Amino acid sequence: MDTQVLAPVQPPQREHRFSFTGTGAEYFRIWIVNLVLTILTLGIFSAWAKVRRLQYFYRNTHLADSSFDYHGSPIAILKGRIIGFVLFAAYSVAAQISPLLWLCVLLLIGGIMPYLLATSFRFRFYNSSYRGLRFGFSGSVKGAYGVFLGLPIATLFTAYLLAPFTHHRIKAYQHNNTRFGQASFGFTATEGSFYRAYIFAFLQFLGLMILLGVGAYLVSKGKIAHLHGENKILAFVLGAYALMILSMLLVLPYFISRIQNLIWNGTHIGGNRFSSTMTAKGLAWILVGNFVLTIVTLGFYKPFAAVRLARYHLQNMALLPTGDMNEFIAGEQQQAGAAGMETAAFFDIDVGF
Amino acid sequence: MLTALYFDGHSARVRGVALQSAPGVLHVRGDGVDRAEPLSGLRISSKLGKSPRLVYFGDGAHCEIADHEQFEALLRDAGIKPVSALARLEGKWRHALAATALFVFFVFGSLAWGLPWIANIAAGKIPPRIALTIDTQFLKSIDGDMLLPTALSRPRQASLTRRFERLRDPDGMPPHSLIFRSSPEIGANAFALPGGTVVLTDQLVKLAANDEEILAVLAHELGHVKERHPLRQLLQSSVVGLAMTWYFGDISSLLAAAPTLLMERSYSRDFERRADRYAGILLRANGIAPERLADILEKLEAAHRGKKNKTEEEPSLFSRYFSTHPETSERIRDIRAEAQ
Repeated sequence: MDTQVLAPVQPPQREHRFSFTGTGAEYFRIWIVNLVLTILTLGIFSAWAKVRRLQYFYRNTHLADSSFDYHGSPIAILKGRIIGFVLFAAYSVAAQISPLLWLCVLLLIGGIMPYLLATSFRFRFYNSSYRGLRFGFSGSVKGAYGVFLGLPIATLFTAYLLAPFTHHRIKAYQHNNTRFGQASFGFTATEGSFYRAYIFAFLQFLGLMILLGVGAYLVSKGKIAHLHGENKILAFVLGAYALMILSMLLVLPYFISRIQNLIWNGTHIGGNRFSSTMTAKGLAWILVGNFVLTIVTLGFYKPFAAVRLARYHLQNMALLPTGDMNEFIAGEQQQAGAAGMETAAFFDIDVGF
Repeated sequence: MLTALYFDGHSARVRGVALQSAPGVLHVRGDGVDRAEPLSGLRISSKLGKSPRLVYFGDGAHCEIADHEQFEALLRDAGIKPVSALARLEGKWRHALAATALFVFFVFGSLAWGLPWIANIAAGKIPPRIALTIDTQFLKSIDGDMLLPTALSRPRQASLTRRFERLRDPDGMPPHSLIFRSSPEIGANAFALPGGTVVLTDQLVKLAANDEEILAVLAHELGHVKERHPLRQLLQSSVVGLAMTWYFGDISSLLAAAPTLLMERSYSRDFERRADRYAGILLRANGIAPERLADILEKLEAAHRGKKNKTEEEPSLFSRYFSTHPETSERIRDIRAEAQ
């Protein structure tokens, strides 16, 4: 594995496994109460709900007998949400009115997105802590423009051949710039390993498509070619749906688990490595179950799904310490006590549109 | 005795300590720690399920407490409310069930009343010029694909346009216009767009026994235009789409694609009835018998049923989904009854 490039370290003394102690039943109650409060306050409470959600997940995440914590201020999140909402509204409205205006808004959003991402990483990490020590993020805005704007555009112009490279650089940007107290994270996964994961996933997808095509042909004994207008479209739509669902069940879990393992097995903090042991089969069960139950329950399973997924992720992660966990010390930004002033300068923005 | 983990905020070192409350003060002792903190200087995390409770000190140190029962007892002794109002709401199943009921009520209420009401107000506030650009965009996207250039002669178009424009509502009406297209795919049909553009297919012109039947359909579409149904429908479905994306998250991208688009095609029963009623009034005011609308609706229904039968032995799932509204015969009956 690529992780052996790492520093001359002794074999780890023992591994610290991550664990998650939240339950679906408990989180459901928190979720629905906060959802209703969000509705009653016309969305304003959503920022407080987000803090509560993150705190629930962080505080139930344990490592070496102590838990994580989240300190984000709802007001800063609210500011970020308003900006996100305005951008999204502008985007939707412009799309209805004219393609030129839509393009302008798209360019504007694309142009400021890397900046917003860099600030939101700083916000998120700075407001996360473990054992009373804050995390931090020192990625430059310039670096963010490279990985979130430059590379994606280059990817587009190379028929997605650069996609694994871009993905690798995004993760490297995030993990190389993260700190815990005074210790820096580092990222050693190779570009080649990302390419291998992408290629295998793509081959699986291709195989599935061929299998499905041949299967459909055999079952219908060539009738598809004789179908008329609407029914031909219907057969095509059904086929595309089947492919989408099957690849979600089979290819996606493989891809996600493999990439996730690559990323965390290639991440270290000081001389301490992480390990991630997710499996395609294990993840497939979670994703399929979550998908089906969320639909069947009209979304009421969502909080249970979130807990299941978090538990699976964390159960499969461990820290392999080389030294004493107690030796991490606080970073300067924390000791300077400039927290308040600094947080006021950035805000959290929901990334995902 | 209440035990806790103590972190000084300078290092990741864990220390096991014991917490004790005395009037106005919290004592933290053990593993080299001996602090007596005034309660007023402490920040205590709100209970959040069974996740650890946290006590933050002014200097960046904090305690992590796993034993909820004992900690709540300690807070009560110290005269501090142990569980916040929000945490109490989240803690009980009956609150969660009440919240669920409220949420379901809210969703149905907004779909049935809230959204139509807001969409109606918003539609009135959108400048006609903007609404018209939506028409242009829409036509640009389906012209040459679903819609082909009309094969009607210029004089025929001109005469229909003249009669369309003569259908005048004394109460006035938002801007509207008539355009002609041929569409073997859609067949005999007419539909209004958000900006007031009414599209009439050659197939409908051919199907109609006389111009009065065509004008009856156009009067019905003008009913939609007058009440801004297309714009309201567009606004409503956009909001529903957004809400679905927000609520379902990733899953919605898989679900949203097909079914929602298909379902949004038809107007609500209420919109159709109102447009029918309006058409009746407008036709009568212009000296045309309202029964003409019933006549052409019958032909349209027969034509669409026939079209399906011609292409394949049994109607496909696809066309059944797209089928003309099941309540068409009901509408025809009502139009005739009202015309008496």
